[in-house]
Order: sequence, then structure tokens, then C-alpha cells
Amino acid sequence: MFENKNTGLLLVLPAAVFASVLFLLPVGILLSEAFTGSEGGFSLGAYVEFFSSELNNTVFWRSLRLGLWVMLTSAVIGYAAAFSIVQLSPKSRGRVFALIILPLMISPVARTYAWLVILGRTGLVNQVIVGLGLSEEGLQLLFTETAVFIGLLQLFLPLMIIALISSMENMPRDVVPAARVLGANWFSVFFRVILPLTREGLVVGGTLVFAGSMTAYITPAILGGSKVLMLETLLYQRVTVANDYAAASVIAMILVVMSIVTNLLLKRLAKPRNRRA
Amino acid sequence: MKTGRYAAAAAIGALCAAPAMAADKTLTISVYAFAQDEFKELVYDPFEEICDCELVVETGNSVERMSKIEANKENPVIDMAVMSVHDALALSRKGLLQKIDTSKLSNYGDLFDIAKDPLGNGEAVGYTVYATSIVYRADKVDIQSWADLLDPELAGYVSLPDITTNQGPGTLWMIGKAIGDDDLSLEAPMKLVGEKADDIATFYLRSSQLAQLVQQEEVWAAPVGRFAWSRFRDNGLDMKWAEPEEGQFGDMNVMIMPTGIPAENAELALQFMDFWLSHDIQLALAEALIDSPVNDTVEVSAEAAEGLTVGADLIDSLVFMDPGVILDNRDAWLETWNSTVVR
Repeated sequence: MFENKNTGLLLVLPAAVFASVLFLLPVGILLSEAFTGSEGGFSLGAYVEFFSSELNNTVFWRSLRLGLWVMLTSAVIGYAAAFSIVQLSPKSRGRVFALIILPLMISPVARTYAWLVILGRTGLVNQVIVGLGLSEEGLQLLFTETAVFIGLLQLFLPLMIIALISSMENMPRDVVPAARVLGANWFSVFFRVILPLTREGLVVGGTLVFAGSMTAYITPAILGGSKVLMLETLLYQRVTVANDYAAASVIAMILVVMSIVTNLLLKRLAKPRNRRA
Repeated sequence: MKTGRYAAAAAIGALCAAPAMAADKTLTISVYAFAQDEFKELVYDPFEEICDCELVVETGNSVERMSKIEANKENPVIDMAVMSVHDALALSRKGLLQKIDTSKLSNYGDLFDIAKDPLGNGEAVGYTVYATSIVYRADKVDIQSWADLLDPELAGYVSLPDITTNQGPGTLWMIGKAIGDDDLSLEAPMKLVGEKADDIATFYLRSSQLAQLVQQEEVWAAPVGRFAWSRFRDNGLDMKWAEPEEGQFGDMNVMIMPTGIPAENAELALQFMDFWLSHDIQLALAEALIDSPVNDTVEVSAEAAEGLTVGADLIDSLVFMDPGVILDNRDAWLETWNSTVVR
């Protein structure tokens, strides 16, 4: 592509230096602290100490559970939405796509504060619950895991839909009708045709949604508060209050590892298709 | 060609540097991010006019600002800072604060006694004091005691400050007093709050967050600093400020000067502190409902007094937690809180 091979290297150099100095190096230093003992040298003491706390264990499993639930739910909703959208005419598809990415242009703080009102005792959800006679008075929905789940799902669902739309657009349009003509029910069509052909979109979307849910701060902080601590809100507490950078480094390491492991697991899902390809 | 480029770069550099040379003297202060527009108008701009200096204002949360002072202790970049009295004590214990020459503060004699030497070693001067009590919906409940916060009548509709806030430990202390245990380990009140955790709507971190929750009727009662009272008083609901039988607790913010700053900057810092403590500035900040005054000569209007902590009698009645106790117990409190309350 370039007359001189060095031209390409020179062009990538500024970005590489920027990423190395301002991202890789600081992250490396931060993560190395998680493996450094109080007297220097390699140590797993910070991890042992972290997981010996009942609260930390609770927060770890809660974060993992909520991250997985948000990812799975967004995959279910995302497949239905993406499948419907790719059936639309190009013009309509563009409009719907614009509506999907519109929330991404609004600050997560504003979106989360909207949920604070919607899920409040006098909010829309409780008005419906009371109106339908399901409860005599408004329920406490805020500051619960459910509230954090809803906030995170709304925050990251567009990423899953976008990834799946992109993947489905590359899927041959006649495979679903062909499967139906050959007698496959919708269950078989989804699991034996659509899912294998769109696994790469699921990997990308799933990783983005899971990593986003695990590392989001504002939404769990506002909708969950300290009664629903997540790893990210716990990290903030350890740094700003306890000045405990060792525990904060451990949490940062856990978040990085969990995101990488999720990505690898999702990639394994995509492997069978790659082998056939 | 190259020479031309260097000349252009030098010219741009000179232009960029020019504003910094506009004033001969520079005073760098570190303050809370709260109400900075008002502070600029009422304090910073008027001071710059009389000092013939440039005031550089740095803001941030307490941890960030304290870290900056500590990280630059060999070559200080902050000349004067304001913070809570226990944060000031934390810096003092690390030997990062210098004694304040109060003979150069012309307004020092007018200060309430509690503001004159809050650390007891001459390294801080108080500039504002505030009470913390309980705001509540008078049409829903009646609050006569800190223990009323945990009354079944309020189950699900009460919010407490998180242990990590300035109001957190004080609230637990007062609840402890109400149940007959004022031990500063706070174990008894934390155990009680832990048992009632499901009845607490949330443990709030910011008074602005609490104001919204009260506004949307999520919360009927919560402890809050007097500085935030106006947010609740004018929300259209039947709000009252409680005067519990165990009393209200007080907190104070102080001014400090890091060690090692140049003598010229120290003079300027003292001049600025004196200006801030003067009758006119304390009155202006009080009338703007920003800070309750510590200058005894200040008489605020009745309207402003309603939103502040004013009057020698009220201030004398406040219960203050020893900043040393806060500092010595903070980590243990957090551990106990995490294991017994939030779990």
C-alpha cells in the first residue's frame, strides 16, 4: 500500500506512542501494584485479603451476576429487535437505527436520573402498579438490584442491537426462508441458522455489554447507592475514602480479567462456525 | 526555513506566557468546588483588586486536594487551602501544615472561640461552622429524637448519610446517644442500623441527591447539614428542621497553609485569609446562603439566618466530634459499616 514500508510505521507511531504512554504504561503500573506485597516483590496477598472479606465476595458475585443478566437479556431483546430491523426497507431501517443510537448521544447521567424519577414511588412504574391494583401504595423500586439491572440494560442494549444488526446484515437473506421451507420451526431456525451465522455479532455485543455493565459507575451509584455496591462503586469507595490503592488495584485487575474471560468464552461460541468457514 | 519555524514557535510561546506575567504575585488556593461562581464574585475578584495579585483557584474533592498537597510537599504548589477540620488534622499529623501567624489576622479577635484554633496547635483557623440535624415531612411524621429515624412509622421512607460522608459518623454518634450508647466505636448504632437496613431507603452521598429523593416523596426524613436546608425548605412540601432532644451536631471547615511555601506567598495567604474572615466577606457569604459565619460581629438578616447556622447560643449548643477521633476511627468505622450495615 505504501511505497516505503517505513511510511506505514511512521503513520502509526503517534497513536502507538499515545496509547503506550497514556494507557498501557499507567494501566501496567496500576495492575502490577495488585501483585506487589507490602515489602515489595511478587505477592498474591492483596487478593487473599480482598476475597477474605464477606462484603467483597458479595459485591464480586453481585457484579458478575448482574453483568451476565444484562448481557443475556440484551442478547434476547437484541436478537428480536435486530431481526425485525433488518427486514425493513433501507429507508425505514436507517430511521430505526437512528432511534437506537439516539440514547447513546445522551449523557448516562441524564439517562440514569430519568430512571430515578420513573422508578420512584410516585413515578410512572409505580403509578401503573397502583393503578392496576397490584399494590395499595408505591413500591420501593429504587436502590435495589432490579433498579441497577434496568438502568444498565437501558444503557447498553443499543450496543448489542447495533452489533447484531451489523452481523445480520451480512447473513444471506434467503437462509431463513429456506430453512422454513424445509420444515424447520422457528426454534430450529434461530438456534441452527441465525445464531451460528451471527455469533460474531453476539461476541462483540456481548463483550461490550458485559464489560460496560461491569465497569459502569454512574448507574450503580445513582440507582443502587451503597446498598447495592458493585465492583466499580466499591473501587471508588476504597480509593476516595480508605485511600486503599491495593484493594483498588485488585478490583481493577478483576474487572480486566472478567472482561477478557467473557470475551474469550464468547469467542469460543463463535469457533464452530469459523472452523467450517 | 527551520529558523523561521523556531521563531514562530517562540513567538507563540511568548504570547502564551504573557498573561501569566500580568500580575507580579500569584496566590494559589485549593477549595471545594461548591458555589465557585458566587465565591468568585464575592471573594476572589474583590481580593484580586486589593492585593494586586493573581489568584489561582484549584478545586476538587478532599482526597484529591490533600493528595496534591502531600505529593508536592518538597515543592509546594498550593499556598492556602480550605477543608474539613479532620482532613486538616490528617495533614497536620504528617507534618504538612505550618503554624498560622494569627497576629497578622486583624479579624482573628472577632472569631468565635471554637474557630480560633480548631486543631489546638495553631495550624488551622475555622471559617465556617454548620449544624446537622434532621429534615422531615411534618405532615407525615414527628421527629423529637435521633432514634425516631429508625421508628417503624418511617420504615422505607428514611435515608441516612453514608458513613463516608461528613455527616455519616455524626449521625451514628447521635443515634447512639439516643439509644444510650455514645461509645465512639459506633458499634451499637451501626448494629442497630444494620438490623434496620431494609427500612432505610438509601444511604445518601450528596445532599443534592437527597433533595431530589425528598422532592419525589421517596424519603420523608433524613439527617442533613444546615448549609443544604434551603434546598428542602423551599421544595413545596411541609418540611421542618428537627431540634432533637439529644441536640444537633456541628462541623467546621478550616483554612490551612502548607509548609515550605515562599515567605511572600505566606504573607499573601495570610492577607487572603484575613480578607475571607472579615465582617464584610463573612456577611456577604452568609447572605448568599453559602457559608455560616464564624465572625462574631456579623449580623445576618432574619431571612438568611433561617437557612444558616448562626448565633452564639446555637453554636455553643452544638455537639462536636473530636477530629482526632474521626481520623483514628475512620478505617475501623468503614470496616464495621461494610460488615454490619451494607453487607
